[in-house]
Amino acid sequence: MAGVRLEHVYKKYPGADKPSVSDFNLDIEDKEFLVLVGPSGCGKSTTLRMIAGLEEITEGKLYIGDRVVNDVAPKDRDIAMVFQSYALYPHMNVYQNMAFGLKLRKFRKDEIDRRVREAARSLEIEHLLDRKPKALSGGQRQRVALGRAIVREPQVFLMDEPLSNLDAKLRTQMRANISKLMKRLETTCIYVTHDQTEAMTMGDRIVVMKDGVIQQAATPEELYNHPINLFVAGFIGAPSMNFIRGQLVEEGGSVRFKSTGINVEVPEGKAKILRSKSYIGREIILGVRPEELHEEPVFLEASPNTIINAQIEVAENLGHEMLLYLSGLGKENVIARVDGRSSLQEGQNVRLAIDMNKVHMFDIESELNILES
Amino acid sequence: MIRTKLQQLQELLGASAEIRVLSREEWERDGGSRNPEPGDYVTLPRGIRAVVRIDGTELQVLETDSVRTPLEKELLKFALQQPAGRNASAASDIERQSRRLGEWILQAVGAGEWKADVPNRFELHSRMPDGMIPFLIQYERSEEREIPYGELHKAVRSFLSDGILLIPLREQEWLVLGPDRLLSEADMSEEEAAGQEETKEVLASLGYGLHQMITGEWGGECHVAVGFPIEPKEELVGTAVMLRETIDLGRKFHMGQQVHLPWLVHLERLIQAVPESALSRLTEQLSGYADLFGDNETVATLDIFFANDCNVSETAKKLFIHRNTLLYRLDKIKQESGLDVRSFNDAVLARIMLLLYKITKRK
Repeated sequence: MAGVRLEHVYKKYPGADKPSVSDFNLDIEDKEFLVLVGPSGCGKSTTLRMIAGLEEITEGKLYIGDRVVNDVAPKDRDIAMVFQSYALYPHMNVYQNMAFGLKLRKFRKDEIDRRVREAARSLEIEHLLDRKPKALSGGQRQRVALGRAIVREPQVFLMDEPLSNLDAKLRTQMRANISKLMKRLETTCIYVTHDQTEAMTMGDRIVVMKDGVIQQAATPEELYNHPINLFVAGFIGAPSMNFIRGQLVEEGGSVRFKSTGINVEVPEGKAKILRSKSYIGREIILGVRPEELHEEPVFLEASPNTIINAQIEVAENLGHEMLLYLSGLGKENVIARVDGRSSLQEGQNVRLAIDMNKVHMFDIESELNILES
Repeated sequence: MIRTKLQQLQELLGASAEIRVLSREEWERDGGSRNPEPGDYVTLPRGIRAVVRIDGTELQVLETDSVRTPLEKELLKFALQQPAGRNASAASDIERQSRRLGEWILQAVGAGEWKADVPNRFELHSRMPDGMIPFLIQYERSEEREIPYGELHKAVRSFLSDGILLIPLREQEWLVLGPDRLLSEADMSEEEAAGQEETKEVLASLGYGLHQMITGEWGGECHVAVGFPIEPKEELVGTAVMLRETIDLGRKFHMGQQVHLPWLVHLERLIQAVPESALSRLTEQLSGYADLFGDNETVATLDIFFANDCNVSETAKKLFIHRNTLLYRLDKIKQESGLDVRSFNDAVLARIMLLLYKITKRK
């Protein structure tokens, strides 16, 4: 087993104006499950392909364990890959598919058999070992692809959107299976996804990327509760964080945030920081997660200085929760997540209290989180 | 002589050098010795012809016009004697035979003899039954180290079958012939003859499998093309040309894809064949439509929409977006360009415009 370290890694394609990956610095610990997440074209797959040796590194150093592997051939890096387009070998049965890599590396037959059967058992595909890929369902094929990687017992697993070809139900199930499996195997895993739910539920640590640059690398909780900038705040969480542009003013010894339909008091702890950073009188972006807007009477009663009034444009009841699309607050639509048992309806006016202790504030120009930086 | 060595020599000489295969009669006719050895040379009106390797009745020779002085000739002789001796002992019979066949294919391709039959004199002639599946592999990375033939042969043989032929063509390019029984091994149906669509599906899965094997198990990135089973003795040269063209078209029009299928690039082939002046005229005529390709999102959306046979659900899934988001994007394209890509005629036009965009704007 081994950690992976990237030191000032760049990837620039010939003829491109700017690098696809810029100054990527990251230390991935041994046995860590690291997720690279970001929108299409952010450089996450390119980074993974550089680690795999499928893309040359333009600049910088890549370590697997203590060894610099920039110039080491992919097959000699002791990694195993599972990609989105996991092509199984169509003319071989499941057993042969999983055994092939070991056979190529001249493993003893009994060792191959042991590893294949053990992996098949952990993936619950023992009963499929004699079948050809054509006779398998999407989920079964995906598990065979995983099995093919597992039998290698590599130092590092690399996975690029391995679940994206599966339907939603199967994806949820496989997500849990992979997490469980990786914990049991105790092997470093670098996992690429565009899906923030996958990232949040699977990763020990998440790296959010945009335009080839790391925005933030942190645990899921840290990313959710302490996003470093507007991009991370908006990317992590579904529905996304609400952003409301408005002004900070000092009134009667307290700091207030004002915008269309909003005039709420900022807690003293946050106000102190805002004063010390000279944000009073300036425009900022307020970030409020949908679940930090409360309609419960107890909360309304306890927070008289943070109450807002809005109109419900759309109410989506998902059973366990209800999403309210609100108008009349700032210039953008605001979404609130309330209890699914709520009797609120479309067209109705609603009173909500913002939990100002949990809001975020972003600088308009730098888009950095004022309260975190 | 392996291709990389030839390139190194060309760089050293600062001029072109060519490898040819001659019969002993042809060698002697131009003044060559009766019992040639690697390094032996004859002086031609322009330059020199030197023996690289001897294979039975045939000689592999190097021709260049940049070696003139006696010292240069002796140095070339010395250079050719060294690697030739080492190769002769290191390379297996199958490698030598395959390289000879590859060189012949390249010569035939160069001479435009795409329908040439494989001559009986090649030892591999007897190992080419009718009905072999052709694959072309082109390595993507410029490795400093040359990929050892034996290693790749072993990997491909383990993967496909003992009966494969691995024929090196240009540097980092190999033609693979595999038995057509792979089709029935991959297909679970018991029917005697699979339909053409089913055959295409199985061939594609074999191509993807081969690509996966090379990238995942053997290492390195490559492009793979696969064609319908052929009668190699008669169709080898034409098939090599067709598969190479398929990869070239795939790399040009479908960047990001590594497996290329000849039956999916017909329109691309047609556009490639249109003279540049005609393409410019067509591009001008189509410029009446608002710019469809102003942003990458529209290009990616249309690319995947056409690749999925205009299927909205499949496209949305591949793009990781909701079906309604895709419908919104398609409506936006309709409003801005006047092209409703969900109707056949407009889809054809948009597809042609997209391909033209890829070879004009995205240079």
